[in-house]
Amino acid sequence: MKRILQALGALALLGLGVVWVITTPVALTSAVLPDHVADLENGKLLFNAGGCISCHAPGPDVKDVAADVPAGGKPLKTPIGILYPPNLTPDPQSGLGNWKLQAFLAAMQQGLHPDGNHLIPAFPYGSYRSMTFGDVADVFAYLNSFPAVKNQVPAHEVIGLPIVRRGLTFWKWLALSQPVWKPDAAQSDSWNRGAYLVNGPGHCQECHTPRTLFMTLDTSRAFMGGPHPEGKGKVPSLHGLVERARYKDAADLVSAFQNGEVLGYEHMSGGGMGEVQGNLSKLPEADVKAIAEYVLSLK
Amino acid sequence: MFSKMQWGLMAGVLALSLGAGVALAAMSADDAIKARKACMKIGHGGVMGVAVPIMKGEKPFDAAALKVAFAAEDAACKDYASLWGVDTQKGDKETTHAKAEIWSDPKGFEAAGGDWYKADQAVRAATDEASFKVAFPALGKSCQSCHEKFRAPLQ
Repeated sequence: MKRILQALGALALLGLGVVWVITTPVALTSAVLPDHVADLENGKLLFNAGGCISCHAPGPDVKDVAADVPAGGKPLKTPIGILYPPNLTPDPQSGLGNWKLQAFLAAMQQGLHPDGNHLIPAFPYGSYRSMTFGDVADVFAYLNSFPAVKNQVPAHEVIGLPIVRRGLTFWKWLALSQPVWKPDAAQSDSWNRGAYLVNGPGHCQECHTPRTLFMTLDTSRAFMGGPHPEGKGKVPSLHGLVERARYKDAADLVSAFQNGEVLGYEHMSGGGMGEVQGNLSKLPEADVKAIAEYVLSLK
Repeated sequence: MFSKMQWGLMAGVLALSLGAGVALAAMSADDAIKARKACMKIGHGGVMGVAVPIMKGEKPFDAAALKVAFAAEDAACKDYASLWGVDTQKGDKETTHAKAEIWSDPKGFEAAGGDWYKADQAVRAATDEASFKVAFPALGKSCQSCHEKFRAPLQ
């Protein structure tokens, strides 16, 4: 009997050891990054398309910082606890000041923090994987153009956070093996531009697509509406928006993105979509039209 | 003198005033939910229905039509503040998009109502197209900021 217990104990320890090893984030090898000349204007466009500010807004304790500076710390309520999105300004201690582009790329597309932790996917790196290298680099350059704000955000209030982060290994195996968005040669350039903005930087699927049992996007039901990220209620489907008489046509949807409820588009607010609409209204009109073209092609 | 639409609106105002009088006599939770929906749809919705085409430049500024719409809003939204009793939180037969934050953050909800009131009054004070177009966006924004916090997404 004692033998069996010892054997079981050894086996359990071995099992834990294996779990420990496989859940340890693998540091990126220093891949050679392509040469890139930063385009701040494009970085700003993608910053707005991604709605970065909506989560990374300055928290209530941050004084004398404009609301459109991503100094971080505004509490984000989620079903796993309260998260405090980090400071994205170039402050060396509390922000991204000491980050290299490579680390930023690893965070955006592999969900890895330079300190060796898996990032909580409230930060939608699953979608950002579909962004081009140039676009990620431009966002990084744009973030570095903000004034450095010293703001150490509080630690996330999540029970068992280190274990949760380790557990993300398994989620990432599934989520990050899903295919990234690729252009469709059969469609127009503007459709592809819209599809890229929606599926990549815009990360619309993160809320508008239902999830599987393992909390990955159920891509077989893309854009059919999902659970609300704050834990209650439902985010609507984006299929058949004209057929269901939510909008008259593409021009109407463009006007809705640009004006939201200011012009009575009541489906553009409620539960956070008003915030998204505000971000999208800052995009060039051609991009808003491209997004509308793509979204209305979801029948 | 009055267009068909204006007559229609006035009839609506009258019907709503009568309805409100009856409703006040015995207001169940479901009735309260119905009444606040009427305020949203007929009251605020009626104002938007007249105002938005003016904002979009599809129709000329029409002070008379706006006046009628605002009168309908007053009637439909009478006693509005009293329609949010705790018993209305979860709707019985009447489904509702009202979020729990209305009752967990009553001060925030009241402040949102105050923002709407100020913006609404400013639009009412507009006398011509130019002043109307300056005042109106704040009113639309007040709808949006309240809905963002206190209303669940429409499907």
